[in-house]
Amino acid sequence: MENLAGMTNVQQVQTVSNAPIFWVLCGVTVVLSAIQAILYMRQSFKTAKEVNLDPKIPREALRIGFISAIGPALGVFIVMVGLMASIGGPMAWLRLSIIGAAATELTAANVGAEACGVTLGSEEYTLVCLAVSWFTMALNGMGWLLFTGVATPSLEKLRNKVSGGDMKWLVVLSGACSLGIFGYLNAGEIMKGVGNTIAVLAGAISMVAIVKTICQKHPKLMEYSLGMAMIVGMIFAIGYDQLFK
Amino acid sequence: MNEKEVLSRWKKSSILIGSPTNILAAATAFIPVLYLCMKYDCWPPLSTVLTAWAMIAASFGAMWFVEPISYYASLGLTGTYLSFFAGNIGNMRVPCASLALDVTKSTPGTLQAEIVSTLAICGSVFTNLIGTTSAVIVGSAVLSVLPQFIVDGLTVYASSAIFGATFGNFAIKYPQIAVFALAIPVVLKLVPGLPAAVIIVITVFGSLFIARFFYKKGIVKA
Repeated sequence: MENLAGMTNVQQVQTVSNAPIFWVLCGVTVVLSAIQAILYMRQSFKTAKEVNLDPKIPREALRIGFISAIGPALGVFIVMVGLMASIGGPMAWLRLSIIGAAATELTAANVGAEACGVTLGSEEYTLVCLAVSWFTMALNGMGWLLFTGVATPSLEKLRNKVSGGDMKWLVVLSGACSLGIFGYLNAGEIMKGVGNTIAVLAGAISMVAIVKTICQKHPKLMEYSLGMAMIVGMIFAIGYDQLFK
Repeated sequence: MNEKEVLSRWKKSSILIGSPTNILAAATAFIPVLYLCMKYDCWPPLSTVLTAWAMIAASFGAMWFVEPISYYASLGLTGTYLSFFAGNIGNMRVPCASLALDVTKSTPGTLQAEIVSTLAICGSVFTNLIGTTSAVIVGSAVLSVLPQFIVDGLTVYASSAIFGATFGNFAIKYPQIAVFALAIPVVLKLVPGLPAAVIIVITVFGSLFIARFFYKKGIVKA
């Protein structure tokens, strides 16, 4: 055990929250997530073979997921470096590898401190407060994990009920729900300010343009469309910042 | 064996994998904090933990239920287990899955679509794990050499651009629904004090009803 005597509270919290043992303890859940993905991969490839699906399709699907996630993962990468400074390396790694966005986790960490009547990172923030913050993050994440762990089969039944067995309506229904979700997410971004609004518009318009023009001629490029649109959206937003701010 | 039988077996096996792993993860996420308290003897009073739990539930409690329900049609069975375990749903899982469905020309609801979206999400889970793990190892070093405007671009604008692009991709197929899907939440956001969960529910179900109306009238087709 680290010698914590003579340290200030801030130093104690810093030292303990970055103690090597926590990489292993946080790793348990991170590894479980990888195991779940591997089990689903095995199931997918096995089933694809059973129904004689063109073997190119599952391989391509996996590759598209892998490649298209690079852009968003770069965002997570950078946010994580910031989060490591405020909640410790191992816990940042755990929280951003599983359910949880940086903003959610920071809120949870702050709520933990607030419940103790102190502020995160202050000299009054002791190991006890750190424990409350960590409990809060785990309790918050538990909500989604337990609900999906228990209720997902009922959601499948609900979808079938709403679709009423009409497969064409099911397709439209899925599209409408996705539009609703992303309409909501975009509305939040638009409210953040001009820069974010430009990123949303440039991302949306360039995606439409890429899909309607380049991808019609070169269907192979479709799998990079999301990455390209993301870069265009960011360039326009950063350009606005550089020119007008 | 026909597709219907395979599909029903697929669903059973998906539940068998997903349900225990997600419930187990809810438990294993407590391992670090339990060790912290035991090792350093810093158990907080139960009342403080319960207070914190109530406070965080006030902010996110409704989302525990609203998000899995709202995202279900986009994610499907396996996608829901995977995504609510691995997180980054709006900015990573749904965009990857829907792009993979487009590229492979898979129709939602079919077995092929289930396989394709599952694998796309699996692929994105590995990318994210590589990303977070490398952030641990080289994060600070990389951040110190990147120009500030790139760091800003990725932290402030990456999600906006991805949300916009994904919305654009769906809007190509259903422009009539897209208008409402964006207008409803923008208007609702202007109402002060309306909780996020309420806005999601009204937006998703509002879009659904409008889609149903257009579908019945033959204005939108699959």
